[in-house]
Order: sequence, then C-alpha cells, then structure tokens
Amino acid sequence: MTTEELEALLAAQPMSLLQRLAQGRVHRHVRLGKRHLIDALLRHASVNRAGLESDLQALMQRDASAGHRRTSGPPARHRGRPPQAERHPAKSSESEPAEPATDLSALLEGIGVPPPQPFFPDPWQEEALSRLTTTDVIVSVPTGSGKTYVAIEAARRAIEADRTVIYTSPLKALSNTKFTEFTRIFGADRVGILTGDRRDNPQAPLLIMTTEILRNLLYDAAGGEIDVRLDTLGLVIMDESQYLADPERGVVWEETIVFCPTQARLLLLSASIGNPEEVAAWLTSIRPTACHLVRHHRRSVPLRAGYLHPNGKLVPLFRSVGIPHSHGGSLHPEAKRLFAQYEDETLRPRSTSRRVS
Amino acid sequence: MPPSIHPVDLIGALRHKRLTPAIVFLTSRRACDDAMQAFQRSHTALAPERQQAITSVLDQLIVQYPSIGEHPLLPTVTRVGVAAHHAGHLPSWKIAIEELMRQGCLDAVFATTTLAAGVDFPARTVVLTQSSVRKTRDFTEFTISEVQQLAGRAGRRGKDLVGFAVVTPSPYIDLTVITKGLTGHPEPIDSQFVIAYPMVLNLLKAHPLEQIQAILARSFAQFQLNRRAETLEGKLDAVHVQMEPYGPRVCTDWISQWQVFEQARKQKAHRIQVRHREPPELAARLHFLTPGRVVGLPKGRGLVLRQYRSRGQRSPMVTILRPGGAVAECQASTVTQVFDRSFEVAEAPVYPWCTPSSLEELIRQMSELPVRIPTLPILTEDGEKDIAESQIAQTLNDEFPCPTCPSRPACQKDHAQALRLRQEVHRHTKTIQALRTGLWHRFQARAEVLQQFGYLTPTCHLTDEGEWARLIRIDHSLLITELIRAEAFSGIEPQILAGVMATIAHDDDRPGAFPRISPGLGSLLGQVRQLADSLAPHEDPPLLRADVAALTERWVGDPALTWIGLCRATTMAEGDIYRLLARTLEYLSQVHTLRATHPGLADTASQAIKVLRRGVLEELP
Repeated sequence: MTTEELEALLAAQPMSLLQRLAQGRVHRHVRLGKRHLIDALLRHASVNRAGLESDLQALMQRDASAGHRRTSGPPARHRGRPPQAERHPAKSSESEPAEPATDLSALLEGIGVPPPQPFFPDPWQEEALSRLTTTDVIVSVPTGSGKTYVAIEAARRAIEADRTVIYTSPLKALSNTKFTEFTRIFGADRVGILTGDRRDNPQAPLLIMTTEILRNLLYDAAGGEIDVRLDTLGLVIMDESQYLADPERGVVWEETIVFCPTQARLLLLSASIGNPEEVAAWLTSIRPTACHLVRHHRRSVPLRAGYLHPNGKLVPLFRSVGIPHSHGGSLHPEAKRLFAQYEDETLRPRSTSRRVS
Repeated sequence: MPPSIHPVDLIGALRHKRLTPAIVFLTSRRACDDAMQAFQRSHTALAPERQQAITSVLDQLIVQYPSIGEHPLLPTVTRVGVAAHHAGHLPSWKIAIEELMRQGCLDAVFATTTLAAGVDFPARTVVLTQSSVRKTRDFTEFTISEVQQLAGRAGRRGKDLVGFAVVTPSPYIDLTVITKGLTGHPEPIDSQFVIAYPMVLNLLKAHPLEQIQAILARSFAQFQLNRRAETLEGKLDAVHVQMEPYGPRVCTDWISQWQVFEQARKQKAHRIQVRHREPPELAARLHFLTPGRVVGLPKGRGLVLRQYRSRGQRSPMVTILRPGGAVAECQASTVTQVFDRSFEVAEAPVYPWCTPSSLEELIRQMSELPVRIPTLPILTEDGEKDIAESQIAQTLNDEFPCPTCPSRPACQKDHAQALRLRQEVHRHTKTIQALRTGLWHRFQARAEVLQQFGYLTPTCHLTDEGEWARLIRIDHSLLITELIRAEAFSGIEPQILAGVMATIAHDDDRPGAFPRISPGLGSLLGQVRQLADSLAPHEDPPLLRADVAALTERWVGDPALTWIGLCRATTMAEGDIYRLLARTLEYLSQVHTLRATHPGLADTASQAIKVLRRGVLEELP
C-alpha cells in the first residue's frame, strides 16, 4: 500500500474509526479534526507502518460486521450510551438516514424585540455606583451587560461634584466612538478628547483619551509639568481593563494605575476575567482605600447556542436550551452527529481529486 | 479559510430563522471580502424601504466623513444589507458600518476576529466559523476569554430577548475549543510588565533612585510575583520543619562533611578495586561452572563446555551445550541453577571446545538426564567486601573523622534524605530571591544601558540628553533618540523625516510594494538600519521596511496626491495605509515635543504633521 493509497483509505473511514485507530498513536487525538488526524496518523505511519495498516484492517472488518447488525449510522461512539429517546421525544427517528426534523421550538422560542420598558439599573450597577463614592471599584461582568451605564452615571455624578473625569479606552477607534457618544449625552463643551496627535477641548471636565496618553500625563505631572488639571481629578474610568494582560501594552495599564493620583477614584471596567479578586487585592494593597469588586457571570440578554450545518439545517448545539456550565458530554447528539458527518464528507472531495491528479 | 456554507446561503438561513442581524466572524480579511463578492454577484435585494433607511443613515454620515461616499462597496451594502468590517478598511467606513448596525439597518456583518475588541457593536446572533486565530505567524487556538468576547456580542440589551451563538463548520474548526470556550470560566490574567527605557528615564526624573524599588513594588507584576514567593515561602517553612531531625550533630555541618567523605571514599574505592568485581553470589558460583557441569538456564538446561572472559564483555561468560546439540555463548549471570551432576569432557582448544566424539557422547548423556536433579548448595562468601571497606576507611582516617565518629551510622542513614531537603531549601531560597528582586534587577540593567549611552549620570540622575530623551515615549525610543543624537535628521526635508518615522513605527509584515524611493531617504534608511543593528543587544530592531517609508515620503512630499492615488501606488489595504500614517503622526508628534531642545527638528516634524494630516486623515478626531 502506498502512502497515497493509505491516505485515501483513511479518508474513506468514518471519524469514529479513525479516533479508535489513533488511540495510543496520536497525542490528544480527540481534539483533532479529520484532516489533522489523518495527517498525524500518516506521520505515525512513517514510524510503524505495518502496525497501523493491520490495525486499520482489523477495525474495518469489525465495523463491517457491526454494520450488518446496525442498519445505519449513528457513530460508534454512542453505542454504549443509554438511548436519548425519552429526553428528546421529537427525535426518536434520529437514526434514519434522511434528514430528521429536530425540535427547534425551545431553541428559537422568544426571539424578538422586548416591549419597551422604563430603564431600571441592575442591582450590580447600583452597587458599583454607590461604592464608588468611597472606594475604588472593579467591575468584571460579561460583555454587553451595561458597563457603559456605570461609566456614564459615575462620570455624571463626578462632574456634578465639580471634579474632573478621565475616561480611557485601549483603542483610538473606541475613544472616538465614546467621544461621539458622550458628547451627545453631556454636551460638546463638557467633553474633550486627547489622542496621540490631536487634542480637542483639553480643559473640559470629562476627558476621553487612550491609556497611553493618560500614562504620559501622569509622568509629566510627576516630573512637575502639570498639563491637565490633575489636582481636581476626581475619577479615572479605565474601560476594557482586561488589557492589563495584553503582552505588548499591558504595562501601560499598570503604570497608569500605579501613578494614578490618590485623591481620584479608580473605576476599572473589564470583561469577565478569571481572577478579578486578585486585581482587586492588588489595588487594595497600593491604593489608600480598599477596592470593591463587582462581578457576576449572568448575561443581561440570555445566550443560546446553535449549530448550523452547511446544508442549512439548524440544530441546538447543547442539550440544554441555555449554555451549560460545563461541557463534558453536553453536546446535542444531533449537532454531534452532523459535525461528525461534516468531517467525513469534507474529506472525500480532497482525496478523490488527489487520486485523479 | 471560509466556512463550508456559502455566505449567501448562510445569511439566508439566518434570515429564515429570524436570527438576523448577525456578526459572522471569519478567519481572514480575504474571507470577508470574498463573502462580500459573493453577495455582489447574487441577486438578492432588500425591500425598497429598508434600502431607503440605509441610504438615509449613510447620507448623514457622508456629511461628516466624505470618504464613505467614495467607497466601492457602498451600492452593494445598500442593496443587500450586508457588509464587511475588518482592519483593511478605513476607520470612517468602519464607523459607518457600526452606525448602520447600531440602527439595525444591516442583516449581517462579516468581520475578522483579530480585532474582536474593536468590534464595538452588538447583534442578535454571532456566527463562529473557526476555533483559532492568526497571531503573528501561526494559528493559535482561542482562549476561553476570546470565545466569550466574541459570543458576548450576541444579544442586544433592550432590543433582543435572547442572543445566539451559532457555530458553523469550516475545514479547520475544532468544536471542542468552541464548546469549552462557551461553557468554561475565563482564564486568569497575568501581568505583562516590561521595563522600557522611557519608563526608566521618566521614573528617575520624578523620583530619586532610592524610591524606585518601592515604586516597582507597587506594580501588579510584583504583586503577583510576591504571591508566588509567598506560596514558596510556605513550602520552604514546611521543608524547614522536615529538616529539624537533621540538625547539627558531632560536626555542625555534617551533611557537607559526609558528602565530602563519601566522595573521597568512592574515589579511593575506585583506586583500590582496579579489577572489576562480580556480585558475591556470582563469584561463588563461578568456581562450579567447570566444563561438564549441568546447569539450569531461564529456558531449559544446558551443559557448560568452557568458562572464559571476553574482552568485549564485562562479566564472565560461559559456553553452553543445549540438549538439542546447539552450542551457545551466554553470560555466567544468566545461569539460574547449578545442578549436582557433571560429565567427563575431553577438552579441545577450538570450537566446539571438546573433541567431536566427546560432544556426541555429551549430547546423548544430556538427553538421558532425569527430570529431577538435585541442585548444588552454594554458600556466598561476603567477607571479602568488608575487608576492602575497612581498608578504605583506614586510609581515609587521617583525613576525615567520620570512619571512627560515633554518629557515623546515623549520618550514613540520614544523609540521602537530608541532602535532598537541603537542596530543596537552596532551590526555594534562590527562587524566592529572584521573585522578590527580579524586577528591580531588570530596572538596574536598563539603567546601566542608559548610563552607558550617556542619558544617565553614574549616580542615576538624568543628563541633559536624558532630559529630552524621556519625552520620546514610544517603541524603539532608544533608536530614535540615538538617531537624533547622531544628527541624522539635521536639515532634512519633512517628507524624509516622515518616511523614517513611518518605517520605524510600522510593525506589520503584511506585504506591500512600492519600489521608488528617493536617494536621500535611501541613504538615511541605510544609516538607520546600521544603527538599529548596533543597538540590537539593547533594543529589538524594528522591521524597517523601505516600502512604507517610500509610501509615506510620497504622501508628505506631494501635497496634491489624493488618497486614491496613494492607494493605487501600493498593494497595502486602505486600512493598513491609514494605520501606518496615523502611527507616523503619533511618532512625529512625539518628536515635536522636543521643541525646547531641538527647535529645528521639531519644526520639521510639525511641517510633516501638517502635510500628513489631510484628506482621509483629517476626518477623525
């Protein structure tokens, strides 16, 4: 058998067989897609060709005899499992070769626009704002749960108390977006922007800048050259604080926090990170007041996951309607089957075209 | 790699299930553009009133950003309600797409994941087609945080009751990574503190050297290092407790004493026992392995024909006659049993080591052997070894007290364990030391380089050079300040300064092409490259691409050049050119801050800035 033939033969096998063949041969084989898996097996074949081929033959024979018993194909991986029928009554016809209908009503239920309702801040938003009067605050919540509201409200309160507010974002593009947004809210005369090459209204009570600019300002202030009115600085809002871990620019966030004037409150807004309590402990250790951590994992708009097959069929990705908290075996069997089928199919065209050429 | 489903079908399926508006994350800019082309060719079109809505939003934006009006994709976007959004586009175009998305005018946006943080607009659905992202050279699998960052764009507060993350396969997707990312907890973040030259200068400008260590100690980096040091200190305490029974004995540092003694003893032993020695049970057995002796082997029996020592083998060997008549060589140590039976052998000096008639006789006799044969009881004599041991001890006695020391047995017994613990203590102590002071040492190393170049005095105060050099707070600051000191920029044209700054600033290796470069800039670039190479031990050299320098030179040198004209001159994407020029602006404005000490250079920089900021670059604040 030439390598070409072996590759074609491997490509013709279902994923489940390849996985069994790869056991003990390929490191972390369950994580590989079909093409990668075949490549890894072929690499292994250069070491022990005979063993691989004989095992492949044996597996193919065993599958052929098993195939007589089972008429068609849920992948062999599921054989040991108890039937899912009672949990998914709508899919009792799952093993039929024709595309079965999967119950999507649960997945797609409730799509649409919620009725307009008066805006009430979430308890965590209130908590962050009330704590901010006395301490620094770190907010670590999922993307899109309303961090901007906290920033705007905190800025409004600080401005009303005649304090300067600095708002930093990691990207110039984001700074520009926020500048437009804040100008709309607070009025053009109360919002200024400082970026690498441009300064608009630098004496405004609310200043938007990239974190690098703030760092430079703080260095200049420490060197005795006051540039912006830092003595009236009451609040520093740092958006996207998870940039603290950015390999290239993370250091700027650290410098800024370390040199942030002690009379100003710090409000760190961050996406969900794994160790916000550690960051909070750090801030507590270097700032005059203890840092308060606001965190939660609940999204304000619930998230569901679906799997869209290339033929246009949509099925749920997980067994539960929402997203489960751990992923061990929680994939929806239909999504699993379709994905395995996809991996089988995508390989055939490539291997045949090879054989022709 | 594009997804396996055709983009038009993908959006069609999403529309059908009311899952739009959606953000489709694709691997590359190319994939995004291909998807848009597919829509350009398709015949789908939005209802007229929705097209009208898009046009009205765009009209408002065009007033502010005129470059949007010239964008080639404008008609397609208006017709099909789908757009692409990636770093290759101009910021104004991206703003337009984001605004359209926020107003709910578009059904889908194809975006790259590389700028996931920059994609600041939500949608009802997020489509994931990949499980890895291109970082510098090769593909890296998504972390949990990254998947959640992407999925987080799904579900608009106040506009959606639920959000959706839809996975659709593409050839290199790994479902496990995606599911783990959706279900798992985000990774903890770690400090990425690096000490750069401008940081050293600025710190020393504001604070005396004595305070620096305390300031560095306030960093998150040191906080995390301290935490690690504390856990190690806990471990160290535990090891100290284990060390307690191994405190001082007859000699205070008995562990080292015993270690030296052991070493000396081993060397001595080696010198005395020049000849290789067999283990006692084998040595005892050797006397019985005479020609004619019946022995037991791991497989069956055999009859010894001769015993010999071979030069190639360390252990003594025997030649064995097997019951079938085969003659084999094997090590004497493989003999398992020595039986109480031996036959007469007429020995011969060559193979098979006995006369042929005797060999035949032996084969016959072996076949007639009974099943059970008594084995020989062999006594091992091990007195010999002790003699050697005491000999060594005696010879070492005048150098070491150990052989006669009362705590010798205890030392001998505990030494291995005590030594291991002591090594562990040393290792932990060293690591803790490194964790506590590493940052400070790195600062000192940087400061030393700056002293060497004359930015700092030996007492770590800023020199006149240092006073202005600290204002250059960008990457490759050392290269730029050294160029200024070498007077490389004295009396040069604004466009050449801009070109040099562009080539230092640009850190992207996406290919572009622009062959024509002025001789002045060319020779200056040679000088920059030489200096960058000589600074390589202290600062990573920038890419220094000549094509971006030439491109910037052309933009600054020819004020009549239009943006379209500039884009035609290179294969770089519009967005990349924009970023290059914007970054050049930033670098030039840093040079401009030197107006107090280098008025001529600052003036040139400000001239360059003025010409550079025109057209598209003027649109955004």
